[in-house]
Amino acid sequence: MFKLDRKLIISTSVAAIALLGVGCVGGESAPTFSDGVNGNISIDGGVSYPTINGKSGNYFVNESHIGRAINNGRVPTDAEEAKWNTDVMAGYVYNEDPKALGLPEGEGSVEEGEALYEAQCVMCHGDFGSGGGGYPALSKGNAEDLQKTLTNNRYQDPQADGPTRVFGSYWPQASTMFWYIRDGMPHPKSDTLSVNQTYALTAYMLNINEMSIDGQEVDDEYVLDRAKFLKIKMPNQDGFEPNVRGSDSLPGVRAYYANPANFGAHKVKPAERCMTNCQETNATVVRIAGEGISQFIPPMSIVRDLPEKKAETINVKEVYSNACAMCHDSFLSPGSAEWAGYTAKGIDKVYANGINGTETGMPAKGGANLSDANFKLMVDYLISGK
Amino acid sequence: MNNKKSQEETTIDRRDFFKKAAAFSATALAGTSLLANEVTGEGDPAIMHHTKWGQVWGDPITTNLYGVPSPYEHNVTRRSTSLLSSGNFRASIAVTPIHESQGIITPNGLFFSRSHGGTAHVDPNEFRLMIHGLVDKPIVLTLEQLKRYPSVTRTHFIECPANGGQEWRGPQFNSVQFAKGFMASAEWTGVYIKTILEDLGLKPEAQWMLAEGSDNSKMGRTIPVDKVLDDAMIVWGQNGEALRPEQGYPARLLVPGWEGNLCVKWLRRLEFAVEPWYCKEETSKYTDLKPTGKAIQHFYANEVNSTVTSPSPEIDWSHLEDGATVEIEGLAWSGMGTITGVDISFDGGKNYVEAKLKGLVLQKSWTRWSIIHTYKKGETLLLTSRAMDDAGYIQPTIDEETKIMGVEAVYHRNAVETWEVTETGKVNHVQIRS
Ligand code: HEC
Ligand code: HEC
Repeated sequence: MFKLDRKLIISTSVAAIALLGVGCVGGESAPTFSDGVNGNISIDGGVSYPTINGKSGNYFVNESHIGRAINNGRVPTDAEEAKWNTDVMAGYVYNEDPKALGLPEGEGSVEEGEALYEAQCVMCHGDFGSGGGGYPALSKGNAEDLQKTLTNNRYQDPQADGPTRVFGSYWPQASTMFWYIRDGMPHPKSDTLSVNQTYALTAYMLNINEMSIDGQEVDDEYVLDRAKFLKIKMPNQDGFEPNVRGSDSLPGVRAYYANPANFGAHKVKPAERCMTNCQETNATVVRIAGEGISQFIPPMSIVRDLPEKKAETINVKEVYSNACAMCHDSFLSPGSAEWAGYTAKGIDKVYANGINGTETGMPAKGGANLSDANFKLMVDYLISGK
Repeated sequence: MNNKKSQEETTIDRRDFFKKAAAFSATALAGTSLLANEVTGEGDPAIMHHTKWGQVWGDPITTNLYGVPSPYEHNVTRRSTSLLSSGNFRASIAVTPIHESQGIITPNGLFFSRSHGGTAHVDPNEFRLMIHGLVDKPIVLTLEQLKRYPSVTRTHFIECPANGGQEWRGPQFNSVQFAKGFMASAEWTGVYIKTILEDLGLKPEAQWMLAEGSDNSKMGRTIPVDKVLDDAMIVWGQNGEALRPEQGYPARLLVPGWEGNLCVKWLRRLEFAVEPWYCKEETSKYTDLKPTGKAIQHFYANEVNSTVTSPSPEIDWSHLEDGATVEIEGLAWSGMGTITGVDISFDGGKNYVEAKLKGLVLQKSWTRWSIIHTYKKGETLLLTSRAMDDAGYIQPTIDEETKIMGVEAVYHRNAVETWEVTETGKVNHVQIRS
């Protein structure tokens, strides 16, 4: 039913466009109740505003382009498509079609993955993916065990253990990991890892999450390749609703959002909503614990005065991006908490180390042509982030 | 013809100039005593003194040919906090000062901004948009070709589904900017994706669309074709000008009413397929864990919501005199329809009265509402607002929502929220829950 209507829409009939909202509902998943004045229900359980007589809700619509060819753009070349189409799909439908699935041939070992991780990832994600300092944890231990924590809910007890949501315990698909590492990491210079390096890092992710493939533990000797990758079954694969697997998943999604009880929403006829004595009798006023969160950048203020003029001889942000960012973006970045470990020895020592350079990788003045005074401004900026 | 002035003419010009200049400075000097309005007496110095800007030239018209706010407005700004940021502020959010917002449009410089790999700076000449997968004719468009499609202009909010998401287990931010400012609203101009698909032809088996950004995180999300063929747009205009880099310049997806995260910025690719993609931002994040241990995935619409924006913890009532007539004002919005009404409670949600809607009431848009109140010095109030939409939804109480969703869901929290007005007129963010 749905497909049919959609086909009509695409084939340029004004009347068919007006049918859109109706088409989306479908007989099988029609919602049980709606007070919407427009009547048409969208896949999300809300209203859809079809264009009727040249109007969509409050908006007038010029539809006279419908039925005319536009023909903008050109067909991409195969190479162009291959260059950008680097996504990796989960494979419920595309398993048989390697091109559509997007998972390339290749291999990498846990051992190589660990070395890569130590060189390119550990500075942000911590030892064995422990996370911290605003960087996500990539493992918290055994995936199967932690998957069981997903029913933990800290209703009122702040001491209680919450659910642990990391790759091993939570993610439904391993394809996400391969795709994201290759296209999005390492964060400061993404899109630089080879296919084999990506297999190696993915193998290391499975290793630190203590996972197995096809009954075999991903131990320190493990070598991951495409065939093994396709056999990965994530512990929380069935932990999500509505179901979106298979080649006809949308009717289920529509049905799910047609029922407010599924997603914590409430429907009521306006005339029947509660106006008196509405609150639960045992409800109390809960206040912010302690100070709450109030370290804002910049600090909160509603004063209307002139901004302070900073006596700046150089534009620290510009110098930073030209002379420091290539190294400091990933470690000791402006305002990062990591600076505490350096400033502990006294700011003068930090200035001196920066000016003279260190054995451990900091070139004298970062290799930049700066006076001592201006270099110190740079250090102040790096430490404070301001 | 001789273009050169004679020696004599030049001398006359110069003499003339000095004479005029002398006359001018004589008047200028005399001015203070001769021409000034000499009224003296008691009065507000802002009235009784000559203001600086009232007696001297203002800037020439060529100053700030692209205008900027008054420097006095420098505190009206987006704000961030390291608690919501990666250590280097590249996977982070800066939120809108909604306590200072007017009407239903957010100025572009104050529009909340969220990125997963920093703000990308795209060269519009190198912008390309590829649309492929299950379409009859895949294409690549330049920016100029994209903008050649017949356009539409719509006012919609964009909201991060984590708006209010830090407060499932109790209030944390004594600030409306941080408690509710993970959103902003603008008038967007772009093209409906269905308009482009009329040309390309969508294959009947297509059910899902991947939208992918060109930024360093290659931010991706999957969207069902229902929405693609309904009101999803590719936009390039924001409040009458090009998108700002923070909003995805030169083109982004706009999925009206749905999670801001779906409105992929710095767009480069749309692909159609039979099954969804399992992007990082629809598995690892942007999924709502329920007490059953199951998480809602592909949870799209920002549900009906509202907040009081005035008073706020930022701009409270401690300056008000007894008996002041004051407008309690707020915002209401729904990603699932149009706001039909807002109720306001003065006792934390026990009893409600109807507030008035103000200005334009548009679908999937911020809607202003207010109620006029006579302030009694020393009164204590619990201000709770509750909105409804034309899809039939109403904001739940905190208890009603947590009963189904638990407190670990992170996203899509839309229960009613409360400001406590204390005896001194201070305003605190509180929650009413059992
Ligand atoms: C400069 C710091 C930095 C470096 C270096 C870095 N990452 Fe990340 N990583 C991040 C940030 C920040 C995020 C969160 C991004 C977001 O919120 O979208 C992240 C997210 C991730 C995630 C998703 C985690 C989740 O649960 O959602 C994975 C997996 C990951 N990184 C792997 C890697 C790997 C592998 C490397 C090394 C090749 C690496 N990262 C290097 C900063 C870094
Ligand atoms: C080629 C890479 C590189 C560049 C470029 C660079 N740094 Fe560094 N910097 C480092 C490394 C690596 C460290 C850490 C050294 C250590 O841990 O001992 C560091 C440490 C520092 C320290 C702390 C010194 C200490 O031991 O207390 C300061 C200050 C500093 N850098 C400032 C700067 C400034 C300012 C710039 C730009 C003008 C800059 N750096 C450019 C690599 C670099």
